[in-house]
Amino acid sequence: MSKDSFKPNIVAFLCNWCSYAGADLAGTSRIEYPPNVKVIRVMCSGRVNPMFVVNALQEGADGVLIGGCHPGDCHYIQGNYFAKRRTAVLKKLLEHIGIDERRVRMTWVSAAEGKKFADVIKEITEDIKKIGPMQQIRRKNNW
Amino acid sequence: MVNLNKLREEANKIVNRDDIKYIIGWEKGTYGFQVTPFFATTSDDIDKLIFSPLCIHNLTVFPMLEEKLPMRKGAEEDTRKIGLVVKGCDSRAIIQIIQEKGLNRDDLVIIGIPCTGVIDPKKINEKFPNQTKPVNVEEYEKYFIIKINGKTHKILKEELLMNKCKQCEFPNPLVYDVLIGPEIKNKGKNIYKNIESFKKKSLKEKWEYWEKQFDKCIRCYACRNVCPMCYCEECMVDQLNPQWVRRSVNVSENTAWNIMRAFHLAGRCIDCGECERVCPAGIPLVKLNKKLEKEVIEMFDYTPGLDVEEKPLLAMFKPEDPEEFIL
Repeated sequence: MSKDSFKPNIVAFLCNWCSYAGADLAGTSRIEYPPNVKVIRVMCSGRVNPMFVVNALQEGADGVLIGGCHPGDCHYIQGNYFAKRRTAVLKKLLEHIGIDERRVRMTWVSAAEGKKFADVIKEITEDIKKIGPMQQIRRKNNW
Repeated sequence: MVNLNKLREEANKIVNRDDIKYIIGWEKGTYGFQVTPFFATTSDDIDKLIFSPLCIHNLTVFPMLEEKLPMRKGAEEDTRKIGLVVKGCDSRAIIQIIQEKGLNRDDLVIIGIPCTGVIDPKKINEKFPNQTKPVNVEEYEKYFIIKINGKTHKILKEELLMNKCKQCEFPNPLVYDVLIGPEIKNKGKNIYKNIESFKKKSLKEKWEYWEKQFDKCIRCYACRNVCPMCYCEECMVDQLNPQWVRRSVNVSENTAWNIMRAFHLAGRCIDCGECERVCPAGIPLVKLNKKLEKEVIEMFDYTPGLDVEEKPLLAMFKPEDPEEFIL
C-alpha cells in the first residue's frame, strides 16, 4: 500500500459527558473532520481499560484516542485523572516494546468544543498517516 | 552469614504458638543448587529449615496462592496466622500486598533475614553443570564457598550474584516481627543502565528485539503464578466473556499478554525477579518491569512497597501529574 492511499483506522473512546457531546456538537455545527475515526462511547475516560487499547490495536486500529472531560470537570469527579496516569504509563510501555507511542493519544474535549474535537481528529489522522499502518501486534486469524 | 541456630530457635518459638498454622521457609533441595520452599507445621520440622545464598524464592506468593475452599455447614474458619521467612526484597512484596489490602498484617508473623544477596541459578549452573547431589554453598566475606565431591571452590560473589542483588537498595526487611542477625549497612544503588541504553534504540530495533523474545513465549503463565503481586481471583487472560487474549500462541497474543502483565505490575512490582527466573523460554521480563519502575519514579515520584499507609499508584492521582502528551 502506498503512503497516499493509506486510510488510517482510528478508534476513539469518548466519554459520555464531555467528549462525546463535543463530537456531537462538531456534527451539528457541520464542522468537517476526517472520516477515519470510529467512536465508541464510554461512560467515563476512567472506564477505559488499557486492555481496550491493546485489543483495538490488535483488531485493526492504527491509532487509539481517549477523550475525557477537562481536569476538574469529570462527571465522576476524578475519573479522568486516573485515566491520565494509566495512559501515561501505557504509552511508555508501548514505546519500550517498539510500538510508536503516538498511536495512543489522549485529549480533553468539553461538550462546547466541537471545533477542538475536529482539530484533534485532524491532527491524529495526519500523525497516523505519517507513522503508517500498525503491523506489529495485528491479530492474524489463519483458519 | 545468617546464624542458622538463631533462625531455628526463633522459628521453633513461633511454630509452637497456638495461633500459628505453619511457617514457610526453605529446606535443602534434592539435587544441585536447588533449594525448596518448605512448610513447617510442628517443631519436628524446624531442623530442616535453612537459609543459604541459594534461597532465591520469594515466599510471599504462598499466602496468596493458598486456596480458600468453601466451608462445610457449622465449620469454623481457620484464622490461624502464617509464619513467613523473608529477605529484604520479599518484605517489600508483603508491604505492597498489605497496602492493596490483599493480606492483613495481623494474619502474618514475619521472620526477617538481612540478606547479602542470593545466587543466580543460571550463572552457577553454567559454572558447575550437571550436579546430581545437593551442594552446600556458604558465604565467607567476599566469596562463596562451594563444596563439590570433596573439592572446595572459592568464587568471588560478584560473579554469581543475581543482578538485582548487586544493586539492592533494601537488603534489610522493612517489616518483620523477629529479625535474625544484625542489619546490613552497605547498600547498593538502583541504576537503570540497561534500560537507558535500550531507550536509545530506534522503534524498529526495539520491536525486532521484543518480537524475537515474545515469539518464544509458550504462555505457560509461570511468570503469573510465581509473582506475589499477581493474585486476581480471575486473571484477565482466563476470562472468556469478554475474551481479551485468545488462547492461541502467536506473536500478537503473546505481546498482548506481556504488555498487560507488565502494565498490571506498574507501580507494584518490587523487582524480586522471580518471573524471569521461572520463565522456561528465557524472556527478559525484568527488563519490562524495570522500565516501568523507572518511568513511574520519574513521572510520579513513586516507589512501591515502602509504606503500608500509602495508596497504590493507579488508585490515586495528583493534579500536577505529567500531561505533556495530552492534545
